[in-house]
Amino acid sequence: MELKRMTKKVDWTFVLALLVLLTVDLIVLTSASINVVDGQPYYIVKKQLLWITGGLVLMALVTLFWDYRNSEKVVHWLYLIAIVLLIGVLFMPEQKGAHRWYDLGFTDLQPSELGKLIMILAFAYFLSKREKEMWEKRTLLTAILFMMLPAALVFIEPDLGTSLVYFMIFLGMVWVGGIRPRVMVIALGVIAVAILLFFTYLGILTDGFNKPLPDELPGFIPLKSYQVTRLIIFMNPYMDPLNTGYHMIQSEVAIGSGGIFGKGWEQGSQVQGDFLPEHHTDFIFSVVGEEFGFAGSIALLGLYLFILWRAAKIAINAKDPLGRLIVTGVVSMLAFQLFINVGMTIGIMPITGIPMPFLSYGGSAMMVNLLAMGLILNVQVRSREEIF
Amino acid sequence: MASIKMNMKRRITFVLIAMFVLFVLVIGKLFIIQFVQGSDLQLKAEELRTRDLSVEAQRGAIYDRNGNKLAISVSADSVGASPQEVKKAGTAKDTASFLSTLLGIDHDTLLDKLTANKSFVWIQRKTDYEKARQIIDADLDGISIVQETQRYYPKGTLAAHILGFSGIDNQGLDGIEYFFDDELKGINGSIVGEYDAKNQQIPQGEQEYVAPQDGCDLVLTIDQNLQYFCERELDKLMASESKPKKATIIMMDPNTGAILALANRPAYDPNNYSSAESSALRDAAVSDSYEPGSTFKIITASAALEEGVTSINDRFYDPGYILVSGHKIRCWRYYNPHGSETFSEIMQNSCNPCLVQLALRLENKQEGLFYKYIKAFGFGQKTGIELPGEATGIMIGDDKVTTLNKATMAIGQSISVTPIQMVAAVSAAINGGILYKPQIVYQVKDGDQVIQDFKAQEVRRVISEDTSTIMRQVLEKVVTDGTGYKGYVEGYRVGGKTGTAQVPGPGGYQEGKYIASFIGFAPVDNPKFVMLVIAQEPQGYPYQGGVTCGPVFAAVAKDALRYMGVVSQVDQVDDTSTTQTTKKVKVPSLINLSSEAAQKALTACGLKAQVSGSGSIVVSQTPAGLATVDSGSTVSIKLGTVNSTNANGGALIVPDLTGKRIKEVADLLGAMGLKLQAVGNGGIACEQSALPGDKIYIGSTIKVTFKEEATQETIINTTGP
Repeated sequence: MELKRMTKKVDWTFVLALLVLLTVDLIVLTSASINVVDGQPYYIVKKQLLWITGGLVLMALVTLFWDYRNSEKVVHWLYLIAIVLLIGVLFMPEQKGAHRWYDLGFTDLQPSELGKLIMILAFAYFLSKREKEMWEKRTLLTAILFMMLPAALVFIEPDLGTSLVYFMIFLGMVWVGGIRPRVMVIALGVIAVAILLFFTYLGILTDGFNKPLPDELPGFIPLKSYQVTRLIIFMNPYMDPLNTGYHMIQSEVAIGSGGIFGKGWEQGSQVQGDFLPEHHTDFIFSVVGEEFGFAGSIALLGLYLFILWRAAKIAINAKDPLGRLIVTGVVSMLAFQLFINVGMTIGIMPITGIPMPFLSYGGSAMMVNLLAMGLILNVQVRSREEIF
Repeated sequence: MASIKMNMKRRITFVLIAMFVLFVLVIGKLFIIQFVQGSDLQLKAEELRTRDLSVEAQRGAIYDRNGNKLAISVSADSVGASPQEVKKAGTAKDTASFLSTLLGIDHDTLLDKLTANKSFVWIQRKTDYEKARQIIDADLDGISIVQETQRYYPKGTLAAHILGFSGIDNQGLDGIEYFFDDELKGINGSIVGEYDAKNQQIPQGEQEYVAPQDGCDLVLTIDQNLQYFCERELDKLMASESKPKKATIIMMDPNTGAILALANRPAYDPNNYSSAESSALRDAAVSDSYEPGSTFKIITASAALEEGVTSINDRFYDPGYILVSGHKIRCWRYYNPHGSETFSEIMQNSCNPCLVQLALRLENKQEGLFYKYIKAFGFGQKTGIELPGEATGIMIGDDKVTTLNKATMAIGQSISVTPIQMVAAVSAAINGGILYKPQIVYQVKDGDQVIQDFKAQEVRRVISEDTSTIMRQVLEKVVTDGTGYKGYVEGYRVGGKTGTAQVPGPGGYQEGKYIASFIGFAPVDNPKFVMLVIAQEPQGYPYQGGVTCGPVFAAVAKDALRYMGVVSQVDQVDDTSTTQTTKKVKVPSLINLSSEAAQKALTACGLKAQVSGSGSIVVSQTPAGLATVDSGSTVSIKLGTVNSTNANGGALIVPDLTGKRIKEVADLLGAMGLKLQAVGNGGIACEQSALPGDKIYIGSTIKVTFKEEATQETIINTTGP
């Protein structure tokens, strides 16, 4: 019946591309995690396989047994719960210098991760209802409040990277949601100028990015010295070569020494010799660069671009603005995470601790990302028939 | 509705384009990293994973001119640790306490080292052999014994200032070791291996062995025997009553500039240089400047002769002083002026006013002529000897120098020179007139192959052969008939000059601080060496160069000449010019003689006695026996009892009887309570059964062999020290 029809309708090209990406992940991760757990070279990759399997099941379930169109009440409740959890997490004991996690005993729960998907859904409902009112100031202000509240809560955890993801989701969705181009341009302009001023100021403070920041920053910067260092280190990793800059230097050495076709699978000296830290998590793209070279990197990035292009097509073909907005949110999220992660490994983006979607090792990120793919497919299988 | 939908689609396409732009951006940067910076980054990756293990090259040895080892490299065991392995084994505390007891290192310091976040730390470099064995036997995890080489100076302090020393990493730090470090050190080899970030070697990684290139050997111009003679006499001088603060001897071959010996006191043991006082490390022979005093008169006289402003037949008159630019420069014997003198006599008497006159004559002939000669003799510039820290000395600048300055320079004041400059200059004055660059290294060798040969380096001709010949004769007179008599070596023709200068300090010369020196050469007709002896700040009186340093020169020269195989020469000095000077006599040995016998012996030699103390026999005398003094001089003798000299058991010291007449011997032994058994048919004692200096009991018999008087000369010449 309905289920059979939907299964038939699934964009199998999209799913296949995703499965190829996940296979690539297992191949790369095998090489990247061989020396992480002493005596158990495949421990990490086996766990990742478990997360992928679980994530795919979840993705299938979300695709088939839930309908994005009649869940408004649930989504509103989820939004409220997410906000409460994001507030509550601030009162949890500090772990690794931040209040990001609930300790559930058997595992840690990071509300901002799942929160991203909830916000995408909730904001999609919010915007789809106000399609024609987007030019009104009141609507815009409410929209800002709607998304910036969770982003701000994440920011003060502190988790700058994730709060930026929230912000990028917001930008992508209000754009597709119908914000006036002029307003968007002005907003982007203001942001660009702000970033420029910020970097100019810090450039002066660090002698043209040549020496480390002082431990005490002027009061108007709401960040700690080490956080700011992580934001500006890509300008010149050698301003702090032994600490914050170390990862970036090692990453560039790894990628740079890869050449056209790389040193070969499990042959990267930077990775296998453990010179490159976090090579199975945040810096997994450097492993691709070192072991598979320029060609491998381009192929991988091409695969991502293909998936995102396919997702964008799904958005365009969605049956309603709600679906379109949901897919837009997911695409914004994944594209931004991809760009900021890869940008970090090649030294054009700050260090924000955002993993590479589908490639970095990590259970919750994998689950959330596959769930997000489920949202896209959910919209896709319910879209108009005539496209295919 | 439709238009809005279309609008949304357009906007999504826009997002897609934005993503594509970012994609291109990333590809661009990837391209730069992998292709533009790729080769650099590849090198960097290689650097990160490969580690050079240095394989030490053996440092070259240093030999004296006859191939005797002065500095060699021997293998030594060093204790190192790999903290990571220690950590893995979990034995840091036990290991620390074991090594702490064995090596005597503080326990906590050791523990810090063993737990340091490093791949390798040294625990102790160059450890005792036995201790290293014990550590190997203990088989501690993460502790290893590394074979290194260590510098060893087999002769201890001998030639310390020449050799210098090298540090813990076998790097030359001073002396020849420093100056020729590049030649000696060789090139370290290496074992290249691949390592990971935790510094563990990758077993299947690349390996490459580069063999070390051992350092070259050096052969010095030094002769270890001559060096030993110099150091032995320096030690005696330092321990003598005059107790100088510092002393230096340099011995050079005047015909090549080769340094034969160079020694300073205080010295140090280069095997243990770190515990030496910093003042002992200083090589005064090249690094110190001093006012040469009268020894500089050699330069003045040479220049004046060369320029023809005086001659060997010239006559001078010394009124006790000379007026220069309104200043009175006094002679050292101003209270009893020398009066009329020959050219030779002004040097013999070291007469200040006459030498000042010579300098003034030079300046009268041509402005700056005297100064030109001083420079030509090498003063005011480094000699270029291959030793670190050479000083230039101090000369008043050409533009500032006054006539008074030049006048005082004639007698070695207002100018500061280094000992090595002085030796080189005097060598030029007596070797036929050529200034040579002093050299200390003879050859650089790689195994048996000579890499570099240091040939004699002529700097310039300073004076003519004839002038030099005259200077040799005049300087011989200074020793035979003048102030340099203390430098006389029996049986050889020796030339020399004494010098005594005051030590300049803030606000003029310092009262009671002198630098005494003697510079001499032998043999006169064919000089084999020039030797400078300097004693800085000898204590008390006499402080003069002749008295303090002359005997040191004589003692070294005697052994050196014999060692060099120079046949002893009969006294060939032309006696005609010495008629006016007082006759020289040898002071007899008076120790153990009775007071009367001693005074009789002195009178017989034409000497006066000044007796002090009470007792039956002489216990000490000044000057000592066999010293040469002017006839008519006073010898002070101190009396004591037999028991007071030998409180422990009535033993007597056997006197030196050789050369004495049979009557003298009988008187002497009788006074001491000893019996004489005379053998032989001559009148002069030449052999005795108990050697001089031996202990003997009162009443013992000494057998003395007497021979013909005609053999006296040979006996004296072969009498041991």
